[in-house]
Amino acid sequence: MSSSSSSSSPSCPKKMITLKSSDGETFEIEEIAALQSKTLESMIDENCASTPVPLPNITGKILAKVVEYCTKHAEVGADAESLRAWDAEFVSVDHPTLFDYILAANFLEIPTLLNLACQSVADMVKGKTPDEIHKIFNIKSTFTPEEEEELRRENQWAFD
Amino acid sequence: MPALVNYGGEDQFFGGGSLCTSSIDLDRLYSMGSSMDIYCPPHKRARVCGPYAVSSYEYEGEHLSSIEELPDECLFEIFRRLPSGRERSSCACVSKHWLFLLSSMRRTEISGEVDNSAKEDKEMKTSPSGDVEMVSCDASGGLEGDGYLTRCLEGKKATDVRLAAVAVGTNGRGGLGKLSIRGTRSTRGVTNIGISAIARGCPSLRTLSLWNPSSIGDDGLVEIAKECCLLEKLDLSHCPFVSNKGLIAIAENCRDLISLNIESCPKIGNEGLEAIGRCCPRLQSISIKDCPLVGDHGVASLVSSASSVLSKIKLQGLNITDFSLAVIGHFGLAVTSLVLGGLRNASEKGFWVMGNAQGLKKVSTLTVASCHGITDVSLGAIGKGCTNLKQMCLRKCHFVSDSGLITFARAASSLENLQVEELDRISLGGVIGVISNREMKLKSLSIAKCMGIKDLLQGSLMLSSCTSLRSLSIQNCPGFGSASLAMVGKLCPHLEHIDLTGLCGITDAGLSPLLENSEAGLVKVNLSNCLNITDEAVSTLVRLHGGTLELLNLDGCRKVTDASLVAITDNCLLLNDLDMSKCSITDSGVSVLSSAGHLNLQVLSLAGCSMVSSKSVPFLKKLAGSLIGLNLQHCRSISSSMVELLAESLWRCDILS
Repeated sequence: MSSSSSSSSPSCPKKMITLKSSDGETFEIEEIAALQSKTLESMIDENCASTPVPLPNITGKILAKVVEYCTKHAEVGADAESLRAWDAEFVSVDHPTLFDYILAANFLEIPTLLNLACQSVADMVKGKTPDEIHKIFNIKSTFTPEEEEELRRENQWAFD
Repeated sequence: MPALVNYGGEDQFFGGGSLCTSSIDLDRLYSMGSSMDIYCPPHKRARVCGPYAVSSYEYEGEHLSSIEELPDECLFEIFRRLPSGRERSSCACVSKHWLFLLSSMRRTEISGEVDNSAKEDKEMKTSPSGDVEMVSCDASGGLEGDGYLTRCLEGKKATDVRLAAVAVGTNGRGGLGKLSIRGTRSTRGVTNIGISAIARGCPSLRTLSLWNPSSIGDDGLVEIAKECCLLEKLDLSHCPFVSNKGLIAIAENCRDLISLNIESCPKIGNEGLEAIGRCCPRLQSISIKDCPLVGDHGVASLVSSASSVLSKIKLQGLNITDFSLAVIGHFGLAVTSLVLGGLRNASEKGFWVMGNAQGLKKVSTLTVASCHGITDVSLGAIGKGCTNLKQMCLRKCHFVSDSGLITFARAASSLENLQVEELDRISLGGVIGVISNREMKLKSLSIAKCMGIKDLLQGSLMLSSCTSLRSLSIQNCPGFGSASLAMVGKLCPHLEHIDLTGLCGITDAGLSPLLENSEAGLVKVNLSNCLNITDEAVSTLVRLHGGTLELLNLDGCRKVTDASLVAITDNCLLLNDLDMSKCSITDSGVSVLSSAGHLNLQVLSLAGCSMVSSKSVPFLKKLAGSLIGLNLQHCRSISSSMVELLAESLWRCDILS
């Protein structure tokens, strides 16, 4: 709960900031990793990150993963191939979690995570018909039968 | 909820961000929400606590986020990354919310579009849908190589959903080039939202036509102007909510506009037209009808700015005055076609100046209707000034008299086609005077509903034949009788087409001078409703002109009997269109007609011939070889079962019954 400048190894003191989730859990993240979030970056610039930053929109479970993501991506010397594989692993989660990633990435303004998660959702849709999409995401259609007909006519290839 | 934490001693609200690029116009997402039932959560997430309730994110038991809870900006980011147009189409069919969000995406906001569409090309060609023209679209050519598709939405089917579907569906599959919306007032119809979807999704739109759209206004047109810069033709008819603002936006952004057509738009006025004139150097055709706010300023500035390419001008039912006519006369250097109708505020002086200004040298087609400013004097000036005039149409100009018409016809030396309708002061003298001109090039003369023409010739005239006239049409002039026809007939030796519809006064004696005098050979003869024509005239006609006659129309000639059919069969070689509706013909006449092996009759009408019975059916079957159209309406003596039998034999023929 205490603020920055932790006691770390004598060689290079890493600056940490603390994030607090909606359910009260706290997480520490290196400042370098936190810079991937534009929101956190501007806070750091304005010296507001010395006390724990409350994130009332993000649960602990998700925040933990986000911290993990940022930390991983802040590592130097990671080769692109293995990072890609790690990313693929990261988004192999159920849909609700994936959407939570998107919401968190949107809120914290983390472009890489947003791109990753959104692309992952977009890829789920590939080759699917509208009915299949309804099922995958559990969405209700709000069209009347006439509107369905019109849509089908204009977008026939989606139904093939 | 956590308490507000002061950072660094300053009270500042630190709003959480939205990562989406600023090009999203969040306003449009708000505006969508108001009119339809889509979930529209708050867009900006302030990290400050307050009484706001974002309850979905509170940890209450096991709450699972669903895709429905993602804010529009996140859905947008997902949709941007969809692999191809096909996936976008699929997503568009999922829910209204997704449809309208997808349709609001501009092509430039979709990433990876250009790379994918080359692969899409090959998929496109095998797509089976019927009403889409699948031509390979050159993705690398950008917008210019696009815009192959046409859509026309009518009546109840003209809805925002359909437009959004079109916007998504035509993208990447050829692109929408032409859109027509024919709305009706009673249904809710198309609104600005649908039009905005089209604007964003179809930047290659070239032709837009809006008739009676129930609630499209300036906002929709402004969107079109911003996105569809290649727009070439715009047609607005009965758009009560479109005002100058929309038209000015179009003018300033669609610099390639070629054709503009505005009808019954009560809010469009001079400023809009002035902007068009100023900004659209390529405008070739302008038509404005029944717009009460349009006046001299707009028309004059438009005509004078665009004088180098503007070739078609149509102004009808407007409050313009002599000033506009003068401007047209001076600046209409490129005008080839001019239509002026219902100009209540234009007087003789305006038309006179227009003719005398010597600017309308290229006009080849001129139509003037319901203008009291057309008098003998102004008509004469027009005749002199429009040296290239080939086709002239005068309707309902009640101040034109015989001498005016004759002077005009003499002055307009290039005139080939003259049509006059409802000129009540014209008499037979005028008609004769027009025809009787050896130097004339007139090929076609048409006179309709001129009630002033009677069988009286006042004064003596120098009569000379007109060798150039090929087509003469005198319709529904009840006073034009046999004497008039005889006189006219003697003056036109080279007629090929005659149309005497509705001249109930003419008799066989009146027709024969014309028939006898015709050296060239008549090709098309229309005598419908000439009630007094009998077999004798028909026999004379086919005897003299059977070698050239192709069309003969005797609709309503009750006195014509089987004898005419005998004569036709004996004499006509080339006849392919015969109309004997309401004539007094019987089965024996039909049998004679059908036995003519040399006749290649293509169209035959026996409508209303009550004496033609089912016995004629076998005779009609003989005509199966050439007949493509047969009219048996109101033939009371032929039963419908016989007609069906006939239809089986004449399977190539279109039968009306």
